Amino acid sequence: MRSLSYIRAKTVREATEAFAAAGEGACYISGGTTLYDLMKLGVERPHHLIDIASLEGADRIDTGGDVLFFGAGALMADVAEDEVVRRDYPVLAESLSKAASQQLRNMATVGGNLLQRTRCPYFRNGTIGAYPCNKREPGSGCAAIGGLDRTQAVLGVSDACTAVSPGDWPVALTAMDARIQLQGPTGERTIPIAEFYLLPGKTPHFEFAIMPGEIVTGISVPKTEAGRRSTYLKVRDRESYAFALASAAVALAMDGDHVRRAHIALGGVATRPWRAREAESLLNGRAIDAEIALAAGRAAFADARAGKHNAFKIELGARTLADAIMTAGRKMQ
Amino acid sequence: MTQEQTADRPRVDAYEKVLGRALYAADQPIAGLLHGMTVPATIAKGRIEAIDLTAATNVRGVVRIFTHDDFSQIKTTPAARGAYGRPSKGYQPMTGPIVRHRGEPVALVVAETLEAAIEGAEAVKVRYAEEAFSAAMEDDRASREPEPESQLSSGDAETAFATASHRIDVEYLHPQQHHNPIELISTTAAFEDGELRIYEGTQAASAFAGGLAGMMGMDPTRLRGVSPYTGGGFGQKNGIQEQSVLVASAAILLRRPVKLVMPRGQLFHTASYRPRSRHRVRLGADEQGRLLAGLYETVQQNSRYDGFGCEHGANPPRMYGYGAWLGSDRIVRVDTQTPGHQRAPHEHPSSYATECAMDELAEAVGMDPVELRIANDAQRDPITGKPFSSRHLADCLRRGAELFDWNRRSREPGALVAENGDLIGLGVACGSYKGSMTPAVTTLRLFASGRCEIATSGHEMGQGIRSVIAAELIDVLGVDPEKLDIRIGDTGHAPQHVTAGSWGTGSAAPAARSAAVKLREELNLLTGSALSEEPIHLQLARTRRPVLEVTVNTIPLGKDAQVIEQLRRGIPSTTGPEYPEFMAFSWIAHFAEVHLEASTGRVRVKRVVSVADCGRVMNRRTAESQVRGGVIWGIGAALREVGETDPRFGGVLNNDLAEYVVPVNADIGAIDVDFIDQPDFKLNPSGVKGLGEVAMVGATAAVVNAVYNATGRRIRHLPIRIEDLL
Repeated sequence: MRSLSYIRAKTVREATEAFAAAGEGACYISGGTTLYDLMKLGVERPHHLIDIASLEGADRIDTGGDVLFFGAGALMADVAEDEVVRRDYPVLAESLSKAASQQLRNMATVGGNLLQRTRCPYFRNGTIGAYPCNKREPGSGCAAIGGLDRTQAVLGVSDACTAVSPGDWPVALTAMDARIQLQGPTGERTIPIAEFYLLPGKTPHFEFAIMPGEIVTGISVPKTEAGRRSTYLKVRDRESYAFALASAAVALAMDGDHVRRAHIALGGVATRPWRAREAESLLNGRAIDAEIALAAGRAAFADARAGKHNAFKIELGARTLADAIMTAGRKMQ
Repeated sequence: MTQEQTADRPRVDAYEKVLGRALYAADQPIAGLLHGMTVPATIAKGRIEAIDLTAATNVRGVVRIFTHDDFSQIKTTPAARGAYGRPSKGYQPMTGPIVRHRGEPVALVVAETLEAAIEGAEAVKVRYAEEAFSAAMEDDRASREPEPESQLSSGDAETAFATASHRIDVEYLHPQQHHNPIELISTTAAFEDGELRIYEGTQAASAFAGGLAGMMGMDPTRLRGVSPYTGGGFGQKNGIQEQSVLVASAAILLRRPVKLVMPRGQLFHTASYRPRSRHRVRLGADEQGRLLAGLYETVQQNSRYDGFGCEHGANPPRMYGYGAWLGSDRIVRVDTQTPGHQRAPHEHPSSYATECAMDELAEAVGMDPVELRIANDAQRDPITGKPFSSRHLADCLRRGAELFDWNRRSREPGALVAENGDLIGLGVACGSYKGSMTPAVTTLRLFASGRCEIATSGHEMGQGIRSVIAAELIDVLGVDPEKLDIRIGDTGHAPQHVTAGSWGTGSAAPAARSAAVKLREELNLLTGSALSEEPIHLQLARTRRPVLEVTVNTIPLGKDAQVIEQLRRGIPSTTGPEYPEFMAFSWIAHFAEVHLEASTGRVRVKRVVSVADCGRVMNRRTAESQVRGGVIWGIGAALREVGETDPRFGGVLNNDLAEYVVPVNADIGAIDVDFIDQPDFKLNPSGVKGLGEVAMVGATAAVVNAVYNATGRRIRHLPIRIEDLL
């Protein structure tokens, strides 16, 4: 049988050293909710698993300082239920509680969630023969283009890939200017989340700006009053336990009736968590009403490119964003 | 017989199941068990040119890899597969170097562990020569059968339609759907006590002796089928599976027990499914809304090699008092595995099309949809002229309308608006399902200790058939439910009928009842005097007998004793809906309230009220549960479910429970269920008609009609998704 080694690391250093020593086929595992799934599908075939779920202090949640800090090993369920996060940053809490199921959120970590891979059915489906997929097998082509592309992306697509970035939490973090803390064999670094996710371009198999052996160790979110007027709206094919057809993370810093600064990101419609700068610019300095909210929604999709069956996502995405802006705007400071 | 005794009793196997003690087919502890895994074909049609087993054979733990070279002796017989469709040759994968549909098994890897079997299966390399194929019935290469499968008519429908004051001419499309019972389909084959036992969570344990033995050239008496529990059947488990004979043959060749649990991703390609279908409905009515004519033409997808009948036309003409009727059902052949029965197999799609068309007619005539249906109520079948054994459909509609507060509905779409701005839509639709029965052989033993054993025909698939059998024994004999041993789904105990078509209760209840009545009579002879109120086992004890046994053959109405021999040989022998003196159907009315979010078009089904006429209600708890399950499936069909096929590849792309979208708890609002609860003693001595399938018939149409009432939009395909209403 295929052999698989497994060790449980206690410190980051122990983990990165084990990774380097293991060579080809090494893979970190934390909650396992994505990795085991991908292993069963044959998408991932690791030979060495290095368990980082119990790294010392990895599950730290600290909301007392200048930033919100979430250790990469904190459980999705624990962050979703944190009182400060729920009260002051509902966009973060809602993005977590609307993801997956309670059982999965009890296992999955907020660091691992950043690395979730696409739900593109052609990427995932190896049961009855792997389809051409540039992510799975670079250069093999993309079966989704010209195929059943109802759930594919309309923003950030390329001729090589239209796969949707699946997460909710990364969308909320993108809106809130989060920074990702990484630690690897050569030391520690912190990058803005905007630089963490890559566009597919000609190399859709590169999804994350993460070096071999690097571990996501933490996520920090700058504190902002916009957090209180925030929301995460997720529209999907059923009311729970499904990935987004369109989602919007919105946080608004207000001066009286006017938006001082809007934070907006979109999910379910783009190849990466999508910062909607055009929509933000349109709202900044303006009072919120249904008309401007929809205009902001439309602005966010000005550059959208639809395939055969997913053009509806352009209108749905715009209306979802408009609804989220109205919901956030109605919240009390 | 009192209502209290059978009204609302827990399932007899509830604790066993909740505690995980119930052993399903794949749970059987068998020493030395080997594990199998199939290699699915990765092309939709063609020939196998070569299979390279080198890498797979080297996987540690792999015992043997079977290919078509090993199984060419397996005989495909009409009885073996597709037994409940039209007789045709059928097709058994792995008996030759051909591939007739994507995902069919092309190799079977058997190993000491499941992990080794999976890894071995992944390492098998197959080279194919691909051929052109058709994946869907709209494809140019799809073959339309020249002759209709079935036709029903009465009067001159064309002329009546042409001259009607109000005419509706519409086409509705129903997509492909998959059953997805939570218990995966598994087969375990083991030699025990000199016979080959097949453990399979099936609705047809007798199919093995009846079909599998023939396929393998075995003496049927040496083959025993055991289906201890079935974790949801819904029609997907009503025959021999593509895998069954492969696993059984592997066990024989290896002389060791072998188990295969087919993964869900493969089941979408090897097991049956509800085929895609198109329905043209024409309805003609006079000024008062009286139905003068119904014309109904359907087309249904089928495989190239088998015969799953197209019978959409069977129920719609029985729903109302049509002046004239003309229906025809055709099949179109494509390169897939054979579709089959999925809960309310034809009744659900046909009720969707025809009950939505009725809603369109109500609008054209300017009548309330409930009133239109009541005005066209019938007590005789327009096709045969026979009366119905019982029909309380108008009462279902009246009671449902009251419980639902139907009067608040406005004929003007979008007139009702919720506080949050959601548009509210209210819809109604009706359904029917044939009243069928099947023979049974029942052995009942009462022990002086109070223990009571019954062995009879039937399979427990979650519908509660054990509880129904218990209810009749308790009712007639007053036995202690704790001391009941109910042996079903096992050909070692009694011949087994296919438990499907909603005839389970209508067959098992009379069987248990007549055995219990006979046992009372026998005891009466022994005691020599009328039985007293004292517990029956104490009265038996006083005769100094440790045990009293009776065996009863129950022969359904309209059949003779020969039917018992058919049952023993595993030949389907059901009756209904047509009986010598009448037609028998169960009836139901569904009312649905949907709320539609104005900005995104999201639909939520807030409430459903369903009132059923299923004859006597045997157990209120399991009956309500059946109806709720059926309604949820109807909601799923309306708004969620579809098997997606990429015409370039064939097969089903969304072949898992994440992407094949079924409702979750958050999708389901209130479902209020009520029953007419009038026994139908014309049909059988227990007074029961079927419930399992009628429960979902019409539920989808009620939701679709409610969507129209909210939006003014007729969407004539399923599922209605967000992009349809945006």
